Amino acid sequence: MTQSYDDRPGGDLLELAVPYALHAVSDAERDQIESRLAAATLPVADAFYDEVRAVRETMAIISAASAEEPPADLRDRLLSVAAGDNVRTLPTGRSGGRRRMALLSAAAALAVGLSAVGIGLSLRPPAQQQSTAQQVFSASDVHTVFGAIPAGGTATVVFSRERDAGVLVMNDVPPPAPGTVYQMWLVSPGGATSAGTMDAEAVSPSTTAVLENIGGSTKLAFTVEPPGGSTKPTGTLIAELPLS
Amino acid sequence: MVGNDPFVGDVVTQLLDYPAKLRVDDTRYHGQAPVTTADLDALLRRVAQHDSSAFAEFYDATRSRVYGMVCRVLRDRGYSEETTQDVYLQVWRTAESYDPASGSALAWLLTLAHRRAVDRVRSEQAASQRDSRYGAATVERESDNVTDAVISGEDRRRVAACLNGLTDIQRECIELAYYQGMTYVQVSERLSANLATVKSRMRDGLRGLRNCLGVR
Repeated sequence: MTQSYDDRPGGDLLELAVPYALHAVSDAERDQIESRLAAATLPVADAFYDEVRAVRETMAIISAASAEEPPADLRDRLLSVAAGDNVRTLPTGRSGGRRRMALLSAAAALAVGLSAVGIGLSLRPPAQQQSTAQQVFSASDVHTVFGAIPAGGTATVVFSRERDAGVLVMNDVPPPAPGTVYQMWLVSPGGATSAGTMDAEAVSPSTTAVLENIGGSTKLAFTVEPPGGSTKPTGTLIAELPLS
Repeated sequence: MVGNDPFVGDVVTQLLDYPAKLRVDDTRYHGQAPVTTADLDALLRRVAQHDSSAFAEFYDATRSRVYGMVCRVLRDRGYSEETTQDVYLQVWRTAESYDPASGSALAWLLTLAHRRAVDRVRSEQAASQRDSRYGAATVERESDNVTDAVISGEDRRRVAACLNGLTDIQRECIELAYYQGMTYVQVSERLSANLATVKSRMRDGLRGLRNCLGVR
């Protein structure tokens, strides 16, 4: 039998330490637990966090048992992203005070089976988006490029020349400044073609967009544009991802 | 009903299988020695200074733990690669927030990785409304990739023995919560057990593992 916490001060809170440490509570309950901890007595909060720490150390050791080698190319991709090689950064006019999305909101939804988010222009209705995304993922020449957006967050494009399409996923990218949108451009030697815009509402905390007709474009560029977007890039270039 | 779901316990059962598959790929690691907790803490402090060679070393020392755990949760190699990449990018960016007083670098990393994996699996499930992709998919373990030289066979055997020491119900609770990303409320629904029971099974299981592994 287990010793019950219920007869101790804060006992019902301490019973949640293991589910909390295992991320086995809903976001709402996690917030609730954290508020209660903030208001709890020091011994209760200490006991809670001590148990959380022990659970996390334990699961870290347990990870030896499920260890599996990732594909070797992940290393190259990661190191090049970390070194900042994958995204060419130009100075942006924006300074301080940028609104960073909470890291908590972290992981996001890649396209398959995901309903569409509110992005303008070239985006398709959900059903269409799903099928394009699935076609891209099942293509024999599928490629993935990944880059850090200088203002924060990441952009990943999964694309297929054969399917002439790609899927863009942006995670934790801060929204554009009020009164502006982000616009995506497929850049080829012949010029830049708009691939859609994203307003502040669309960029949170993750965004998925389908890129149609990628043709022979060599880069996906992101600029800051007035609401509704522009017919050609006019604003600050914030990032570029090579489509290769 | 407990025991009726063919997927319950899959991951933990697979974990118990590993010694038979254990082998070391010397060509890839050139005899690199297992990395200690102190080594990882020191590496992470260098990563915080944006030392890219420390970052590469940190990745090499931990990647199989992170990727393997993420694969168990996401059961999709594409998603797992992306999530693993996101995890390490987050490490690169936020290593300075690591506080050695709050735990080991390895626990910090695995916590961060598990959090991302769980968020991802929940958002995928919400999107697909638990369609067949997550209802049934399991990723076959690639036996060629099962192990690496940075985790000693001794460590793996010890962990397997400790997992083996759990009761079935404890194992199921941990499996559903940790590897399937369920909340304890969902676990109680899945197992038709009340919340207090699920919480105490999880706690007992973790306590057993903790004692068995000697975590203080």
